[in-house]
Amino acid sequence: MTTMQRIQHDGTGGSHEADESSPFAPQTPQEVEAMLSAIGADSVEELFDVPEAVAFDGEFDIEAKSEFEVVTEIEDLLGRNADRTEFLGRGHYDHYVPSVVDYLSLRSEFLTSYTQYQPETSQGFLQALFEFQSMIVELTGLDVANCSMYDAATALGEAAALAARVRDTSGSRVLVPETIRSERRSVLENYADGAELTVETYPLVDGNTDFDALSDRIGEDVVMVYAESPTARGTIEERLSDVAALADEHEAAFCLGSDPVALALLEEPAAVGADIVIGDASVLGLSASHGMGLGLFAVKEGYLRQVPGRLVGTSETADGRRAYTLTLQTREQHIRKERATSNICTNQAWVALRTAIHVASLGATGLSSLAEECVTRAAETAARLDEIDGVSAPADDRHHFREFVARTERPAAEVASELADRGFLVHEVGEYEIQVCVTETNSGEVDDLVAAVREVLV
Amino acid sequence: MTYETPDELRYTDSHEWIDDRGDARRIGITDFAQDELGDVVFVELPAEGESLESGAACAVVESIKAVSDIYTPVSGTVTATNDAVLDQPELLNTDPYGEGWLFEIDGQVPEDALDADEYREQIE
Repeated sequence: MTTMQRIQHDGTGGSHEADESSPFAPQTPQEVEAMLSAIGADSVEELFDVPEAVAFDGEFDIEAKSEFEVVTEIEDLLGRNADRTEFLGRGHYDHYVPSVVDYLSLRSEFLTSYTQYQPETSQGFLQALFEFQSMIVELTGLDVANCSMYDAATALGEAAALAARVRDTSGSRVLVPETIRSERRSVLENYADGAELTVETYPLVDGNTDFDALSDRIGEDVVMVYAESPTARGTIEERLSDVAALADEHEAAFCLGSDPVALALLEEPAAVGADIVIGDASVLGLSASHGMGLGLFAVKEGYLRQVPGRLVGTSETADGRRAYTLTLQTREQHIRKERATSNICTNQAWVALRTAIHVASLGATGLSSLAEECVTRAAETAARLDEIDGVSAPADDRHHFREFVARTERPAAEVASELADRGFLVHEVGEYEIQVCVTETNSGEVDDLVAAVREVLV
Repeated sequence: MTYETPDELRYTDSHEWIDDRGDARRIGITDFAQDELGDVVFVELPAEGESLESGAACAVVESIKAVSDIYTPVSGTVTATNDAVLDQPELLNTDPYGEGWLFEIDGQVPEDALDADEYREQIE
């Protein structure tokens, strides 16, 4: 019952009191009055100390316009965007999202459901999240996956905190590759600060872990070694088993960063000895322009009680039918309170739903052939750029996934800027290095990119 | 319902029991505690060799209803832990004074620990 209704039912409130009551607070004006007089205050405003400069003065300063005027203005604004073809990558990858993903995920049962976690009303959503977890488990070979984190960076931070908790003896260092992307590094540093850990880097040689340098840097005080495949430079890491074994020797957890498309092709992380897999699953289900993440987080069974975030499990209804429900919530903050090991009690449910639909629509074969294309297109594009005088591609003598670094004779900043003038965006990643990402959505423009690079390097 | 409260044990307000076994004190949770918690699904134990002050939260018992901290009523060094309960947490329900014990610690039984009669009054 809303306040307005109660006032009318009570027959006590005149129109004046009804105006003062808020639809968002259940107290009647009489109750507010009683509370104020009990504490000896004259008004609710007296309880707040809002600086005059930011206090609302009754004017929104919004200019009134018709819908048509607003649409025209916004279309004009959008029209001023530069129309350029992106070969950017580095964390944001554009894959074609089949229309079935929009068609299903925009249904109101999914899009506006609140909350998706209530088993009595949300079996459909819970099952979709369970399917998402099952896909991640299948791709990683690990035993448990949660139904997503905010993004890969949060997942990495939680992985480090988990690694420190599960270790028998205390440790203080987390080792990450020097090429780790800045957003992952900075979120990890935030977590590390609270968990009293320090983040240190190890070098790469030719886009892969410098194993000797890593061996020098590891020690008994290392709680986690993090490696990526594909790496931030697009290379496929070749010595994951060695890195895993080295971490294991020092009782450090081995965390692998990857993504669901790459995992369809690469050796199963569980088979190479990964204890934790993190990554960004929104490479499927969302276009790159969303800039939003979907953190994947999978672990081996021994860490089950330490998993952050939500887990959907199966159960049985009273009449013996299969049902889906959140499970192991005793790990979480709303039950365990200050003893909880993570403050994340939510996930990216709707994005996970979209990713699950996308993966399901591709199927196992479709996902593998998409992954194969990511290898062949990058290799073909690198080979064509390599034919140009003044370009050496790929800069790293490795297999690549989606993207690669190319060395340029001219400064990379000039090359990137002149390519932008010609309508193509690439990343400048070193003084003489650009990074190029090719997927099925921009591969039709590779001929034009190659021609533009040739012009720029003349 | 009546709960088992063996005469030879000492007890705490927070429903742990203490068994003075000569060289060490064995700690567990009482029959009343396991019944209140319901099905125990997970147990975390202190590490062997860890030194604890009495009153410190040193173990966790998780049931389908709640997560509870276990406080050691005895100060000292942990000399043994019952790893069987890690794999079979239900031992706390089926045999709280026997196979469901939690850990052993080498300090002395505190003077203010309850005897069986006092504890029975507590849970009545």
